[in-house]
Amino acid sequence: MSGSVPYRNPGWAGNTGEFQLSEAQVRGDDFVGTRPLAGGHASGSASYPYMLEEKRPDAPLFEGPYQDRLDKILTRYPDKRAALLPVLNLAQEVRGHVSPETMDRVAELLELPRAYVRGVTTFYTMYNKRPVGRFLIQVCTNISCNLCGADDVMEAFLRYANTEPGETSAEGDFTVVEAECLAGCGFPTCVQINSRYYENVQPLDVPKICERLRARGR
Amino acid sequence: MAESSPAETVTLTIDGRQVTVPRGTTLLQAAERVGTRVPHYCYHPGLSAPAMCRLCLVEIEKAPKLVPSCITQAADGQVVHTQSEEPLAMRRGVLEFYLQNHPLDCPICDQSGECKLQDYAHAEGRVHGRGREPKRVFGRDDFGGDVVFYGDRCVMCTRCVRFMNEIEQDPRLTVVERGDRSIIDTFFEEGLEGTHYHGNIVDICPVGALLSKDFLFKQRAWDLDHTPSVCPGCSQGCNIELHTRDNLVQRLRPRVNLDVNGHWMCDHGRLDYEWINRGDRVEVPLVGDGREARATGWRAALTSLLERLDGAGPVRAVVSPRLANEDLGAVRALVDALGGGEIVYRSRRAPAEVPLKGFPKLARRRDLEPNVNAARLLGMERVGGDDGTGGLAPFAAHGGVLIVAGDELADQPPDFGERARLYVYLGQHPTAAASRAHFVLPITNFAEQEGSFTNHEHRVQRFWPALEPPGAARPGWLVLGALLAERAGEAAPTRAEVAFERIGAFEGLTYERVGTGGAPIGEDRALPAEAAGGRA
Repeated sequence: MSGSVPYRNPGWAGNTGEFQLSEAQVRGDDFVGTRPLAGGHASGSASYPYMLEEKRPDAPLFEGPYQDRLDKILTRYPDKRAALLPVLNLAQEVRGHVSPETMDRVAELLELPRAYVRGVTTFYTMYNKRPVGRFLIQVCTNISCNLCGADDVMEAFLRYANTEPGETSAEGDFTVVEAECLAGCGFPTCVQINSRYYENVQPLDVPKICERLRARGR
Repeated sequence: MAESSPAETVTLTIDGRQVTVPRGTTLLQAAERVGTRVPHYCYHPGLSAPAMCRLCLVEIEKAPKLVPSCITQAADGQVVHTQSEEPLAMRRGVLEFYLQNHPLDCPICDQSGECKLQDYAHAEGRVHGRGREPKRVFGRDDFGGDVVFYGDRCVMCTRCVRFMNEIEQDPRLTVVERGDRSIIDTFFEEGLEGTHYHGNIVDICPVGALLSKDFLFKQRAWDLDHTPSVCPGCSQGCNIELHTRDNLVQRLRPRVNLDVNGHWMCDHGRLDYEWINRGDRVEVPLVGDGREARATGWRAALTSLLERLDGAGPVRAVVSPRLANEDLGAVRALVDALGGGEIVYRSRRAPAEVPLKGFPKLARRRDLEPNVNAARLLGMERVGGDDGTGGLAPFAAHGGVLIVAGDELADQPPDFGERARLYVYLGQHPTAAASRAHFVLPITNFAEQEGSFTNHEHRVQRFWPALEPPGAARPGWLVLGALLAERAGEAAPTRAEVAFERIGAFEGLTYERVGTGGAPIGEDRALPAEAAGGRA
């Protein structure tokens, strides 16, 4: 794209006609999947999670390219204990959430007490302890967003998905949760859907966002 | 500071009092030397100190801020205040936070009366809470084994987690979740089942979060009498306290002895106490003719026994390794006085030891009786199987003097000792195998008398009477001692101490030397550990 494009709204709440970027361009939609599942160079293997839209809770863990990625991750740390967080990330990427079975498997793999793995997993909020829908919608309700009506946005998402906070909608599409600060305080209300940020979200934008998600499938 | 002199000790001032402690002592331990107990939760002398409860913070003059006394080492010239305004205000604040989510259910909490949160809040906390928000509620969780967890009461000191990690070394416990939702839990439904020392996490829990299911809602802590004793569960001889009420043992608690059991004891010993409370007891001396028995008094019983002792043939005796050193010594003396004879004991043995990995001195030993080593020292032989039965065939049909002391003979038929010319049964419990006895003499168990045990490494340890003996039951050493003394025309031992000092095998030891912590017998006299073979 050229630099002359008017770029007023760095977030995306549907094509409002104010600017001429496609959503894919703004968000870099093609980001997902362009990185090799095997993690590419070892230095980046343990960095950010991929967030596949397809979540298979019973998928085999650490097989095929994931086995390669796991091996790369393990080379990045002095001992296996230190690799726990990225390995849990990897497991969540494959399965969508970290189930007790997953914790058990990871504990076995890293030779850690499984109670310890459970303690670590439950400490961090970004590990899903229960299955989530295709779209994990995390609405920031911390100060900035709250002042700008995050509660209404949350409410709108819940109404659209017809579900309760933390629950998954009936057809398995949406899981809506409250999140603490997403570090998008300049663009309230900030909503994270899977690995994408949606900024400046108003309650009115919610149906549009959700419909687009559904239609696009990711 | 005193870098010039590499002294082994440091001198500092705590609460206006000077104290000299070895280098490396923490302020908290040093404060105990001057009689100040700094409040603390996470610190436990047997565990690592993470300094996370923030309750033991003290003021050191010229230090920029309060320091956690549980990990700060005492240094020369420090001036420490534990009760000055700043630490007190800080503790008041910390305690208020501790009480923010703590249910004030002390009236139905087992820990009430021995609860550190209760103690500290009463001593130093605010009079009223200021919280208006509802308290978070977790309910309770059965951890399996003997432990139940009340999540609401937990103060997150993580002593239990560290015990399982460092001492039991089976890291099953962890802190789950974060912030005010954090609770102690195992890996989902895994529980503590199958661990052998988890009872200790109930002891070290400073509040009522981890409770013993065995003791749950049984007694209030302040009603219990505490008597120092020695665990009769195996030959390790853990130092314990018997907690008693209503003349019943209510629970056992470990007593600190760093040479034997540290701060810990095993679950096997902890939960195996109901036999002490058995109600079926022999309460009066019974004198019979082998068919019928008649209740009588001690004087009559012992007088008539004395008359029949001599000239009744060779002596054989069966003793129980649950008897005290003094009792076993008295049996040995009696048998020797009657011309000598075989003395045997039967004992249960476990297939393997159960060691406590983080405190290697402590293990649930193979011998499941407390005093097998004293029996061996006194030249008694082990017979029977590993379940403590059998092996008594030559005794059941013995024709001379048969003495049974302490062994209940539960596996023996009613015609046991039928052919004996004199069958004396000294026991706690009435049993079918004593129905042919000429004398059934009631003796006390270890909880009802003073005495001592000899543990697996030949360390003599004393215990004290915690219960009233039933009826006319008397300690075995007193009964046999009186008998022997009468026979020899000398003074009978009236105290366990005297009975102990009369035993040759323990020569050189006195009760005073044994004290509350125990003392080893001379190394030259100790027997090799695994000499007892046992005859079928």
